[in-house]
Amino acid sequence: MAESALPSEKLHPDREEPHAHSAVPYVIVWIVLLFFTALTYVTGTMHLGKWALPIALAIACVKSALVVLIFMHLKESSGTTRLVFVTALIFLGLLMFFTVADVATRFKLATPAGAPFGTERSQPEGLLEHEMPAEPEQ
Amino acid sequence: MSPEAGLPEGILAHHYSSLERQNEAMRLGMWLFLATEILLFAGLFTGYAVYRYQFPLAFAEGSRHLNITAGTLNTIVLITSSFTVALALHFARIDKPRAAAICIVLTLLFALGFLGIKAVEYIEHFQEHALPGKYYAFEEVNIAGAAMFYTMYFLMTGLHGLHVVAGMSVLSWLLWRTLQGRYSSLYSTGLEMGALYWHLVDLVWIFLYPLLYLI
Repeated sequence: MAESALPSEKLHPDREEPHAHSAVPYVIVWIVLLFFTALTYVTGTMHLGKWALPIALAIACVKSALVVLIFMHLKESSGTTRLVFVTALIFLGLLMFFTVADVATRFKLATPAGAPFGTERSQPEGLLEHEMPAEPEQ
Repeated sequence: MSPEAGLPEGILAHHYSSLERQNEAMRLGMWLFLATEILLFAGLFTGYAVYRYQFPLAFAEGSRHLNITAGTLNTIVLITSSFTVALALHFARIDKPRAAAICIVLTLLFALGFLGIKAVEYIEHFQEHALPGKYYAFEEVNIAGAAMFYTMYFLMTGLHGLHVVAGMSVLSWLLWRTLQGRYSSLYSTGLEMGALYWHLVDLVWIFLYPLLYLI
């Protein structure tokens, strides 16, 4: 049979059978997720200024890690499956980092009209006065 | 001899040498699909990051005018639905198809509740003319970039809402199959795939909620 041609029939002989698990971890994760929802609500409505975004994102990352590892069983998944997920995260990071880095390092005239710091005509570094783009007509 | 012994007809495809290999292939395929879904939403999250960077005031103001109670309630509803679908898979795996079916029905009800709350919010936005792009005429938030906040808001919640509807369709089909007794301790990977999709819907909302409603 074709089966004998394959190197090993059992892919992960040491892994626990999935149905041996109990429902207790799911209940715990659910309660912890509700707790973090309350926490993100409280910290979010306090308007903590520049700390608001990092705190909210940190809480969201912890929550999604719980969902991915426990609810989606990535904790007990094969390495290939984990690699797929991690690759998606890396590409997400590349996309966001370089796009935001581009926008954040543009000189100001390139930002859309009406943006708070886009309208002011400032002289970018390394650009002489006569090299400045022409003043846009009103 | 093998765990395939008592399997119902038509579950193990003929080109797999064992059920375990088929399960692994299904998981890998599903995670590849979920990776493309993550990248689909990544585009919108990047757009959000760019416009938030350029219009910080408008995004803060726009966020404060969203219905935070509805948003929080929807977060709780969606997290609980994720929990019930995880339980559904658990019950199917310990040969309790009836309990699994009840959990899927609960998940579907939570999903309906989520869409209902979202609809109430959308109706509010339409009444306030807080609409995307050139249709924006919301008097309370009248600063540059405010229309962009609502454009991102509608794109992100809209695409997420479509995923909720898709997830509900998948779960309805899985409910039918669960009632047929297809999922048991011998085989539950089909239900597992549907549950994975539903968890992704929850995952996206976990990030949408703080970014849109809280900051």
